[in-house]
Order: sequence, then C-alpha cells, then structure tokens
Amino acid sequence: MNRRVLHILLPLITGVLFLTVWHVAVKMSGSDIFPTPRHVLDGLGELVRQGLLLKYVVASLFRVSWGFIAAVLVGVPLGLALGWFRPAYAALNPFIQILRPISPIAWIPVAILWFGVKDTAPVFLIFLASVFPITVSSMAAVQNMQQVYLRAAQNFGLGGLELFRRVIFPAALPQIITGIRIALGVAWLVVVAAEMIAVNSGLGYLIIDARNAGKRYDLVVAGMVMIGLIGLVLDVLVRRLEKFDEVRWGYGQR
Amino acid sequence: MKLIRTLAIVLTVWLLGITALHGGLNLRWFAKRTGGSAGEKTFGVGFLPVTCHLTCPVTHYINKEMEGRDMFQPMRFSGWPELKEMFIGRPKDMPAAFILAPMAIALREQGVKIKIVHLGHRDGSAVMVHKDSGIFQTGDLRGKTVAVPGRYANQRLIIYRELKKAGMTIDDVKIVEMPPPDMPAALLSRSVDAITSGEPFMGQTELDGYGRTLWQAKDVWPGFISCVLAVHEDAIRDHRPEIQRLVNGIAASGKWIDESMAHRMDAAQFVATNYYNQNPRLLSFVLSKPPDRVTYSRLKPLRPEFEEIERLAKEAGILQGTAHFEDYVDDTFAPDPTTVNAPKFEVKK
Repeated sequence: MNRRVLHILLPLITGVLFLTVWHVAVKMSGSDIFPTPRHVLDGLGELVRQGLLLKYVVASLFRVSWGFIAAVLVGVPLGLALGWFRPAYAALNPFIQILRPISPIAWIPVAILWFGVKDTAPVFLIFLASVFPITVSSMAAVQNMQQVYLRAAQNFGLGGLELFRRVIFPAALPQIITGIRIALGVAWLVVVAAEMIAVNSGLGYLIIDARNAGKRYDLVVAGMVMIGLIGLVLDVLVRRLEKFDEVRWGYGQR
Repeated sequence: MKLIRTLAIVLTVWLLGITALHGGLNLRWFAKRTGGSAGEKTFGVGFLPVTCHLTCPVTHYINKEMEGRDMFQPMRFSGWPELKEMFIGRPKDMPAAFILAPMAIALREQGVKIKIVHLGHRDGSAVMVHKDSGIFQTGDLRGKTVAVPGRYANQRLIIYRELKKAGMTIDDVKIVEMPPPDMPAALLSRSVDAITSGEPFMGQTELDGYGRTLWQAKDVWPGFISCVLAVHEDAIRDHRPEIQRLVNGIAASGKWIDESMAHRMDAAQFVATNYYNQNPRLLSFVLSKPPDRVTYSRLKPLRPEFEEIERLAKEAGILQGTAHFEDYVDDTFAPDPTTVNAPKFEVKK
C-alpha cells in the first residue's frame, strides 16, 4: 500500500473506532442525556435546515479573523522591536510576561465594561489571547538569530532599516511563522470563551445557548465537533505556509 | 518577498469576504428595513431565558405584532454576571434589565444608580430533589448539598427562610452556586442533592422524569419575588416617557398572560421559538402545571415585601442593610394592578 492511501486510511480507521467506542459507551451507560454520534449528526442536520450552521460558522470565523489578524499586525512588529532594542525589552518584557498568563475568561468582565456585547468584545478577547504568543515568538526569533548573519551584513555595510528588511526579518521569519501557527490555534481555542459574552451568533454561542435550551446536549457536542473540524482546516491551511521558500529554509530536513 | 505579498492579498480578500458574509448573514446589513422609521434606535432590555423574565419577550412580541415596530431591543444573556456587567458598564446601550431583587438592592448599596420600577413575576421557583432520594421535607435537607443560582438570588433566601421555620440554620446545609441551566444535569448525576432556581429549569427535571418537587415557592412563600425590572437612574432622568411605556407594556402583557390558558400556551409557543430557543413543551409545562406555578399579575413593588427581603438578606449576611425601599425603588411608573388592562391581542393561527 502506498503512503498516500495510508495517510487517508489510517485517520479514517481511528475516526470509526472513536465513534464506535463513543456510541457503545453511551448505550452501555444507559444515559439518555449524553448524545450518541447519531444524535449529534441529527442535531447538525437540524442546524443546517434552520440555516444556522453557516451563520454561526461565519460569525465565529469573522471574530477570530479580525482578532487574530490584529494580533499579528501588533504582535510581529512589537516582538521584532523588543527583540532588537535591549532597553525596550528590559522595560516591557516583565509587563508582557505578567499579562500573558491571564486567561481570556478573566478578561470577560473587562471586555463587557469596555465594549458592551457587540462583536468588538469577542474580537478583543481573541486578540488578547493570540497577541502574546506572537509577540514572544517574534521577540525570541530576533534574539536567537545567528550572529554570523549580522556580522556578514555589517561587513557589507548594511545598517538601519535596510539591515532589518534584508537580514533580520527574513532570518526571524521561520520562527515567527511557527509562533503565528500556535497563536492561530489559541485564537480558535478561545472562541467559546469569547462568545460567552452575550453575542447571539457563533459556535461558542451555540454551545452556551444549547445549555440554556434544556436537554440539548446533542447541540453542545455538535458545536464542539464543528469547532474541532474547522480547527483542523485552519491548521492544514497554515501548514501550507511552510511550503514557501522564505519559511522552509528555517526548518530541519525531516 | 513573495510570501508576504501572497499573505497580504489572501488575508485582505479573506477579511473582506468574511466581514461581508457576517454582515449579511448575522447583522442584516443588506436587509431592507421594514416598518418603523429607518435607523430608529431603541434601547436594550436585558433578560435571561427564564419564566421570571417572561413578560420581557411577551411585551416585545405583542408590541411588534400590534404596532409593527420594536418598542425596545430584548437582549438575551446566558448568565447573571454578564447581564449585570452590561447594565453597570453600558447603561446607555442597556438602561433596563430583569434582575434578581437582592442583586438590585446589593448594587444600590454599592453605589450603582439602579432603581426597581416594577416586578417581573410572582412565584415560579421550586426546590427539586432527585425522585429516588430520601428527602421529603425541609428537615431532610440537613447535611445535604443545595444548588442556588447565586449569592444574590432570592432562591437562597427562600431556603434560608424555610430552614429557619424547620428550626435549622443555613450552616445545616451545604450551599453551592451554579448557573441554572447546569442544574438539571447536576441533579440527574446526583452531584447535588437539591436544586433551586427559576423555571423552566425546575420543571425540566420533572418533565424528564428524575426530579421531584420538594416545595413550590408559591406554597411556602406566597407571592414570592425572584426578579424585578430595574432601570438606570440616568434613563429615568432622561427618558421618562420611554421607561413609562416599557413599564406599562410589562404590566399589560403580564395581565395578558394571566388572562387565559390559551394565552399562556400561545406565549409558551412564541417565546420558546423566537426568544428563548427552548422546546415549547417545556414552557407550556411550567406555565400550566399547575396554572399558578408562576403568575404575572399584581406586579407593583410593595414596601412590606421588599422590607422582608431586605431583613432576610441582612440576616443571611448577603446585604449590608444600608439601602432601603425608597433608595432602590421608584414606584411612580408602576400602575395600580387593578387598573391595568390586557391588550386586545390574539396570536394569528
């Protein structure tokens, strides 16, 4: 069997096994509260028929896109600057490390007070969750850069902005992309927490709303499944970045 | 830099696309405005999908059906903290909300400019135990775990009041705080021994066959008040006519709900479908079995009732006792219940 077929077949087998175990476990426990895979599929079908699934997926992707892209636009330049200028690093790094471990859930009250319950509040929470991994990885990328690139560049008489554009940024790029990939995972991860704010659309909202709706745990799990599947697609997309020459040189050969 | 250019283009297109989709699907940017004057801004009224707040969606629905426009923007929340934060933080966007009576009083004590202008309901709470448990009277709760919706929930006070009648104190039970939507599952898994909150979450355990009523609020504390309509003082100062219209609407739709069982069933149907996103069977159940499980007439705030809440809450250590009826209530909006007439409204079949 060639590798391609194996790459499709193996995950399929894992999936079928997982669903079987899930189904049998629910049946054996005799619980009529926790849904079987079949119930979840029916729940998803119901959402599709009501036209809600597309709406919710779009809403969540909208919030994550804006929050995440804002985080990249702020995080990458900030990280590069902090990595290069020692005094800036000394001044800001402790502050960043203090803010970094605070969960977005803890920021929910602040987000509501500042932004109300419009889309800005969840976007802000997603921004907060993803800006720190990006900043820190960009910072580390510059600090860990091989000195030999710098010396060579200086021998050629490069300095200032030119040095930054031609040497520092390209050298740091592979590590920055890795940071961005992790941050995208985090951004998608916090979508449920971010949508706990009283917005009225989104996959996170779907889960919270289903809890309010009585015994609709099929919809809770349907929301989880959708978040997982979209997370998979996002990861596949970001992996494509590694195909670019600017990134690929920075990775090992395996 | 091929990578950067590709990324910039792809991401810009993606952002524009997803924003347009979100605007079209969820924010109705491109929908034609129907009825009412275009762009008319209405204020928000916060509520939770519980029967204590039923008059909020019913008022909105009846008004929209009869006049063809929004009297206010009903804003549904999933939990108390978010609703409270929105009310405190953004009173311009949401100057009114249905809120727990002791929580409103506590906010007043803490300096929030909040006034209770009307009640939301009467009764409509219960203490539920698992049907197989050995709890048959208040005394059996000794040493058991009881879930309440929050520190400032009146359900906590009703437990306190009943324990006192049975010669016990709050220390004889273990109180845990839990969002009402999580309570049925907690009772089913028997991780708590008893649960209490507003409907329909209590009725749900009965409907699903594992809950048993220990007592209904109406039987142990007749006229029990859990939630009230509270308004920010700035709105009372600046938008008196709008607030008056809201209060009149709430009072009238309360009468409408209580007018007949047919109205109750209609309300269960349109509220469950359009506002609460619950199974209509659940609301029909709690609005009819028994019919006086929760009622919506007699909603003017009365001094002796609030003084009892105040006294109990102070004894229970929830309130300081620094705010009094005239501080946290403005009863000038609430009409005399005997003069309120239900709107002439029937749901189109």
